[in-house]
Amino acid sequence: MVLPTLILLPLIGAVAVALVPKNRSELVFPLGLAVSIPPLVAALWVAANFTVGEASFQFVTDHTLSESLGIGWRLGIDGISLWLVVLTALLFPLAVAASTAITDRTKSYLVAMLILETGLLGVFLALDLLLFFAFFEIVLVPMYLLIGIWGSENRGYASLKFVLFTGAGSVFLLGGIIVLGLFTGDLVDRLSSFDIRVMLDVELSSTAQLWLFLAFGIAFAIKVPIVPFHTWLPDAHTEAPTAASVILAGVLLKMGGYGFLRFNMTLFPEATVDLVWVLAVLGVIGIVYGAVVAIVQPDIKRLVAYSSVSHMGFVLLGLFALTSQGLTGGVFVMISHGLVTGALFLLVGMLYDRRHTRLIDDYGGIATVMPIYAGFFLYMAFASIGLPGLSGFVGELAVLVGSYLTLPVLAIIAASGVILAAVYLLWAYERVFTGPITNSANEGLHDLGLREIAIIVPLILIVLAIGIYPKPILDRIQPSVDLILERIEATTSYEVPEHGATVDEGAG
Amino acid sequence: MNNAALLPIAPEVILLAGALIVILLLVLLDRPYREGGIVAMAALAAAAVASVLQWQALGDGADNLYFSAQGVPVPRLPMVVMDHYSAFAGVVIFVVSMLGLAVAWRLVLTLGARSAEFLTLVLLAVAGLHMMTASANMIMLFIGLETASIALYVLAGFTRERANADEAAVKYFLLGSLASVVFVYGAALLFAATGSTAFYGAGSMREFLAENIVAEPAILLLAMGLVIVGMSFKVTAAPFHQWAPDVYQGAPSGIVGLMAAGVKIAGFAALGRILFSALPSQIDDWAPALAIIAGASMIIGTVLAAVQDDVKRILAYSGVAHAGYILMAFVAGNEGIGSMWFYVTTYALTVIGVFAVVAVVSGSRSGSSPLAEWSGLSSRAPVLAWVMLIMLLALAGIPFTTGFVAKVTVFTAATDAGYLWLMILALVTTIVGLYVYFRLAAVMFLEGPAGVEEVVVPPTTALVLAVAAVTTVLLGLLPWPLLDLAREALPL
Repeated sequence: MVLPTLILLPLIGAVAVALVPKNRSELVFPLGLAVSIPPLVAALWVAANFTVGEASFQFVTDHTLSESLGIGWRLGIDGISLWLVVLTALLFPLAVAASTAITDRTKSYLVAMLILETGLLGVFLALDLLLFFAFFEIVLVPMYLLIGIWGSENRGYASLKFVLFTGAGSVFLLGGIIVLGLFTGDLVDRLSSFDIRVMLDVELSSTAQLWLFLAFGIAFAIKVPIVPFHTWLPDAHTEAPTAASVILAGVLLKMGGYGFLRFNMTLFPEATVDLVWVLAVLGVIGIVYGAVVAIVQPDIKRLVAYSSVSHMGFVLLGLFALTSQGLTGGVFVMISHGLVTGALFLLVGMLYDRRHTRLIDDYGGIATVMPIYAGFFLYMAFASIGLPGLSGFVGELAVLVGSYLTLPVLAIIAASGVILAAVYLLWAYERVFTGPITNSANEGLHDLGLREIAIIVPLILIVLAIGIYPKPILDRIQPSVDLILERIEATTSYEVPEHGATVDEGAG
Repeated sequence: MNNAALLPIAPEVILLAGALIVILLLVLLDRPYREGGIVAMAALAAAAVASVLQWQALGDGADNLYFSAQGVPVPRLPMVVMDHYSAFAGVVIFVVSMLGLAVAWRLVLTLGARSAEFLTLVLLAVAGLHMMTASANMIMLFIGLETASIALYVLAGFTRERANADEAAVKYFLLGSLASVVFVYGAALLFAATGSTAFYGAGSMREFLAENIVAEPAILLLAMGLVIVGMSFKVTAAPFHQWAPDVYQGAPSGIVGLMAAGVKIAGFAALGRILFSALPSQIDDWAPALAIIAGASMIIGTVLAAVQDDVKRILAYSGVAHAGYILMAFVAGNEGIGSMWFYVTTYALTVIGVFAVVAVVSGSRSGSSPLAEWSGLSSRAPVLAWVMLIMLLALAGIPFTTGFVAKVTVFTAATDAGYLWLMILALVTTIVGLYVYFRLAAVMFLEGPAGVEEVVVPPTTALVLAVAAVTTVLLGLLPWPLLDLAREALPL
């Protein structure tokens, strides 16, 4: 019963926040922060009690809602979803704590945030495809409101674009789910069934696999986002309030990578093997394109947004390398990117709160007035680039090692992404922080306060910890992704290369 | 005849009695506006109870399933039928009408002496609507259709001091009459092809078609085509929808919800009655035709809804699109009836709620409801805006609302019946639908307040909004009881 509790905790929190009477509005924010803590506690409890080495789902809840339609309240967690759940539960309290600048309709803001958390946790925990879709789609609504109401100047355009792009993808996902549900229904002698554990037994023709892969894939490709479906992301990120950017980059994009891994690769192995090249190439295009475009961004938030496109390219390459290291690395990059980019958006937001501009040209030399801030930013920039010892290194190295085994040319091109990351981040750092102060408006900037330091420090410590000792994380991811590879090997002629370094050795 | 023999027509009898009492009150009392409303409300409630009793009686194995001048239990020419289908339709229509009347409450109170007229017309219209769903004979169905239609023509133009109300009423009357003519011509040709107007009993259309090869298939096809076109007018399916935006925009906001929701329920139920009960053997002829109408409705409805600047016109075109989604259930034949009922029921509840908000924002007497009036509603009336948002999410088909469950069930039904192309088309139009509903949400939530006018929600409307919002979310979370009932609500 821990997983249903985990999903419902933010929702209960939302109700509590909504019920704060009008004349006690000063309680809204502290309460919102307080109710975002219990989900983290529950998620950590799950992580602590998670059985290492067990590949399949744990803490399973299975409660049939409709016998004939085959819909159920089915939840479970495995190595793939475990850390995404912990990441989600971790980022929300930090994002809420970073939202003190929100003064307009604070109550609605916090309710939207907490509903968003419920939706995201549900996405990673659902074992029923229709339930998964319900959570996947409901995420749109609070995110739309967060960008649309509390965003910056161009928020109306950005929020509608976000809804239409991601909504457009998900309707095809719904179509695919219905078709697959009907196929599964034949298997269990009902109209339909949406239990993904039953769906594994459905035998689909190659054509059906291909079409379903595409129907599912388009939804996840837009969420990741894969170039050329990425154009919603820079707008949404740039206009969103800080907390929404953190969640968007930290968790929302992972719905795409998670979807590919959990559904496309698991349910349609034949189509996966057939389309490996297409998706791996798209991943590498994303790595290089995102990095190159990031270099020339005048807007620091846009720069971080494009860096997400690049990093998510690594995720895609890792997944479709179809090796144990690649898949594990892909999942690890998702976690690391969530922490690091989340931190970068938090930091950019803190600067924006002071100066209300995101243009790199408006800054220059501010390290002299904000030394702590500059140090934090540089640390996270290095983590994002993939400096050994920090979390970014582990995942990207594993992806490169894993993809080198099967797609050596692509792996070599992808490695340039690491260099390009150094270019765009360090050049941006130089222009914003180093040298003398060029703009007199920046002279009065005050450094980070205690609250802000308290928000960033946990992320700094975690990034360091899992960068130095990633084993606990990897040990839990690997059995679950190996299960997916075993299934691909069992149902297709594909063989996973056995040789090569294991992830642990590679990262050590 | 004993009392049980009257059970099949009990709802209609109650409503007509209610209508007579309302008129009598006008004679007996000085200013019976409120009392008249209460009587009308009570009559609707009693009719709903009668429908529930019908459902229970059917469960207990009642044998008086038909009403006819010739007696019971199975007359040769049954006129009215009592089955789970008609009982379910009764509960839905009467409850939705009660909600619709509650929205119109303030309109009723401001009408003065004409309120009795208004209430009588509402009761007659509702009686006609239910008669359409419970008829066992084409002629009876037509009588129900006309009873409802004529009453609604008058209601559409009830605030006649406004010029565009007249226009709306005349347009509704002319196009509605045309639809009725088309429908009745189709019924006549059905009689020509099958030698019967009855749905049930010896020599009915169904039996004739089951036992004989039709000599003139062209006449039967033409007949079915005309009947479908006639009903498509009533349910605003494209390309027979043109009257809806003008009529919705011209009619008083207080009553549009009842018009939109009530006619849709009855229209779809009547179409289902004809197709499922009288013409089940011809499904291969009518299902493709309905699929095409469904596709056209989705495309035309969503695309035109996306370019409107008046909320009532947006909702009218959105109604066209939803008519398309509901028709998707029909192509699955008997398997789709449960999906159709679920969709129609939940859509009706949502539509009543949406038009209740329109009546609050733009006034219950007014015609148009330009987008500008909705600007910044979330700052002026946060609760109202959130309720409207829930309804819009339901219309857009977002999960955890009834709209999502309804869409999934009809999509599943159509796909299972082999209409994959129709589902893909529906998916594409759903994307455009996202734009339609989120654009309206953007006006309410993202734009600054347009005016400082205070938004006053009358208590009866607040009650309707609460019911609509709670059912939209609750039945979206736990649709199973209603789905199970809907699947039982099959015609004989």
